[in-house]
Amino acid sequence: MATRACLYTIRIKGRLGATALSAFPSMTHELKGGETVLTGWLEDRSALFGVLAQIEGLGLDLLEVRRQPTR
Amino acid sequence: MTSLGTTERKRRLEQPMSAEISVAARSLLDREDLLQKLDRAVTKRVTIISAPPGSGKTSLLRAWTERAGKLRRVAYLSVDRDQQDAQRFWTAVLTAIRGAADLIDTHEPVDRVASELAEHAESESTVLIIDDLHELRSAEALAQLEHLLATLPNNAHVVLSSRRDPPIRLHQLRLAGEVAEIRASDLRFTQEEARELLAAAVISLSDQAAAALYERTEGWAAGLRLAVISLSGHRDPERFVTEFSGTDRAIGEYLMAEMLGRQPSDVQTMLLRTSIVDRLNGELADLLAGRHGSEQMLLELEDANAFVISLDAKRTWFRYHQLLSDFLRLELRRRSAAEVPEIHRKAATWFIDHGDALEGIRHTLAAGDWQQAARLLADHLFSLTLDGQEAAIATLLRSFPKGVSADHPELALAHAAVQLAQGRLDEAAAQLALGESHVHNAEPTRRKRLAVAIASLRLALARRSGRFTEAMEQVNLLEASIANETSEDIAMGSELRAVALMNLGIVEAWSGRFDDADRHLSEGAALAQAIGRPYLEVACRAYQALPSASLATAHERGTYAIALAERYGLSDRPLLAPAFGALASIETWTGEFDEAERSLRHGWEVVKPDVDPAAAVLLHLATGMLHAGRGEHQSAVNALTAAVGAQSLLTGAHILGRVVAEWLAATQARLGMSDEARATLDAFSTEGDPIDAIDLGRAAISLAEGDPETARAVLGDVQRFAPPAGFPAYALVEAHVLAGLAYLAEGDRPAAATEAEAALAAAEEDRLIFPFAMNNAGALLDLVARHRTAHGALLAEAVDLLQGKPAPTIGRERQQPPGELSASELRVLRYLPTNLTRPEIAQALYVSINTVNTHMRNIYTKLGAHDRSSAVERARALRLLSTRNHRIPV
Repeated sequence: MATRACLYTIRIKGRLGATALSAFPSMTHELKGGETVLTGWLEDRSALFGVLAQIEGLGLDLLEVRRQPTR
Repeated sequence: MTSLGTTERKRRLEQPMSAEISVAARSLLDREDLLQKLDRAVTKRVTIISAPPGSGKTSLLRAWTERAGKLRRVAYLSVDRDQQDAQRFWTAVLTAIRGAADLIDTHEPVDRVASELAEHAESESTVLIIDDLHELRSAEALAQLEHLLATLPNNAHVVLSSRRDPPIRLHQLRLAGEVAEIRASDLRFTQEEARELLAAAVISLSDQAAAALYERTEGWAAGLRLAVISLSGHRDPERFVTEFSGTDRAIGEYLMAEMLGRQPSDVQTMLLRTSIVDRLNGELADLLAGRHGSEQMLLELEDANAFVISLDAKRTWFRYHQLLSDFLRLELRRRSAAEVPEIHRKAATWFIDHGDALEGIRHTLAAGDWQQAARLLADHLFSLTLDGQEAAIATLLRSFPKGVSADHPELALAHAAVQLAQGRLDEAAAQLALGESHVHNAEPTRRKRLAVAIASLRLALARRSGRFTEAMEQVNLLEASIANETSEDIAMGSELRAVALMNLGIVEAWSGRFDDADRHLSEGAALAQAIGRPYLEVACRAYQALPSASLATAHERGTYAIALAERYGLSDRPLLAPAFGALASIETWTGEFDEAERSLRHGWEVVKPDVDPAAAVLLHLATGMLHAGRGEHQSAVNALTAAVGAQSLLTGAHILGRVVAEWLAATQARLGMSDEARATLDAFSTEGDPIDAIDLGRAAISLAEGDPETARAVLGDVQRFAPPAGFPAYALVEAHVLAGLAYLAEGDRPAAATEAEAALAAAEEDRLIFPFAMNNAGALLDLVARHRTAHGALLAEAVDLLQGKPAPTIGRERQQPPGELSASELRVLRYLPTNLTRPEIAQALYVSINTVNTHMRNIYTKLGAHDRSSAVERARALRLLSTRNHRIPV
């Protein structure tokens, strides 16, 4: 269980514009082809689910959530 | 009543009738196939609609309701945003089922939902639709919903609509083939429907463009509808589609940006600036947008698409589709971040001016004005606590940035109020002192308000700590300060007066001054009602249930307090604990142990987060009584010991203290713990005067020790236990029972029988069965011949209770010799002299009307009577009924 900050990458279908991206201030983004990849440290599970709720709320198409192995 | 204005207005702000469906004309496509699919789904018991936002769930449900509602009964409810309160959820469901917000008169709305659903389903097919189920965050409510689904009556159907699959187990129903599902793929527009949608909006596109549009949106309802809005009146629709299908932008965002961009600039500004509130009306929208005519824009927007939704039939309140609202908020922050705090400030002022302090403070916090928010919270604290808003205050306190919340002296009083409500009295006292020491720093104009808040908190603290004398002194101080109030404070004066009356009444009730308590609580409740303070009103009513003069009246009052709380949505509040405790003890006295158990369960549920020792004494006592009545002596000792423990937290003497001691001692004695029993009583008899309850306890100890002679000696002349005129004969019944048991142990059966008959006579008026059960007086009752007693019905009930047997079935009774009334018939007979109707008797006895009818027929036959009044006459002649007009506990 993620009880401390972890690095996540989240793939979303479609390229996000400035408005939608502003919903994820704690994450950096990269537009790759027809997808948007958000990357960032999320403090705990609540933070992660907060981001997922934003994705759902904006009607975005979630493709993948991945926690990066911490070194 | 004009004085109700504020509350009325406030309530309307809080709950813009989510159960109602707006009848706005909307250019929504009639999706015939989908409607038919839902028609078919609804033949199953449960239909789940699960799909992401913008899939067209609500549009489908509204269109279907409009159509199907003509053929059958459809109740429609959308769950309020972030609904965490099971009680409120079920009350809303019940309101939807009834189709009217009339008095919800039960403390178990979920049970009522089931029974009313069954009632409606009996006459016509009934469908309950619960939309936005994902907003329901109460595990309790979801568990209850699961149970409701599992036990749905025939002909009743439920449709659940949610963004996510609801966390409800439907395994059994699924196996039975009783679950239908409609998912995103079903909601998706077909190519044909997409073409119809375009045609309905008079948009002409080439087949190729239409196909491209469809492909790009993948039939997503929100995508198509947004595209249609942008395409309406577009100069070059083909180009729009080409650009749209050529982009790999996320489609929701892209289309919302397009749609917004196509609006005239004043509409854009209005949409963006009003997005910060969860709901709005024309006036608020004008204020936020800084212009006139917003209402007209909102109406036009609603007519044009499904992204603005009116909340009431008159179309005065609106909200935005959540997709749009989230998008607008982001866009507003992006375009004009600097203006956002100012818009929140405007909203805050509006809400405060319209009596919604909580929403006002929320927006002040959102504007980042901590100082101002702290000041507002302090200024409105008294008013908020009057409405029992401590939980919301606690949430607000958490919204202050760390550091601000801890040190800001303005917030000390708010912290004190929250801690008081949580039973953390020491911390509350410390915060209260801190807040008090800062009052002189406030501007003179505010000092009076703060002083009022402090005075009411002090009073509540003294009362809660059981410092009853100090509480009374505080009331006197308050009365004095009200007397010299200035005209501007008159309203606050009434509120303060109501608070003082409530606290005074509670203190008096716990001190045993029932007449004073009753007078002050009545006055407090009436005043609270007149000034529109339901929380205060319920609190006063809840304490009026403490049994004093008449058990039936007290029971009625308790039930009323609970119904009132239900109506105001306050039924989960700790303030109801005394009402539940009182009901439980009354029900135990009258031998209705199952009802008592239910009341206790509710009492402990509401009191859990809040430890009010005075109320806890009552609940522990009632718990102990119930165990004692059921012969569970060890559990009774535990509960009564807990009552003594709670009592010791109070500084003042608690009216229930002695009776707790008596029953604890008697129960300990029954377990063979004579020494402990004597010690329990000794702790209470230091006051010198003979105390009835203590003598009863000593008699019970002697009896348990096999020393009936001493028991009788301690009791002496039993008549001294007679109550003051008009009060129930609690002690007298018990004294007769103990005396009877003593005679029985001595072998003097005639004397024992006389005492038993006397006990029944004393118990008759209020049906005080408990003393027989607690003292296990079955052998004593056996001495009373059923047909020689004037209390046949009461005797039958007591005997039944002692034997723990369920009411005899009709089948068994048929075999009884004719002429002799069965126990169940005797029970019905008791109700014949009253003016209760047959259905009411059935309800009172928890049996069906048919059962009552059967019993009544048998009673008539056996008594040779032809109607109710002649039956009563015969029964009195046969001494089956007392000739006095006694009251029936409701």
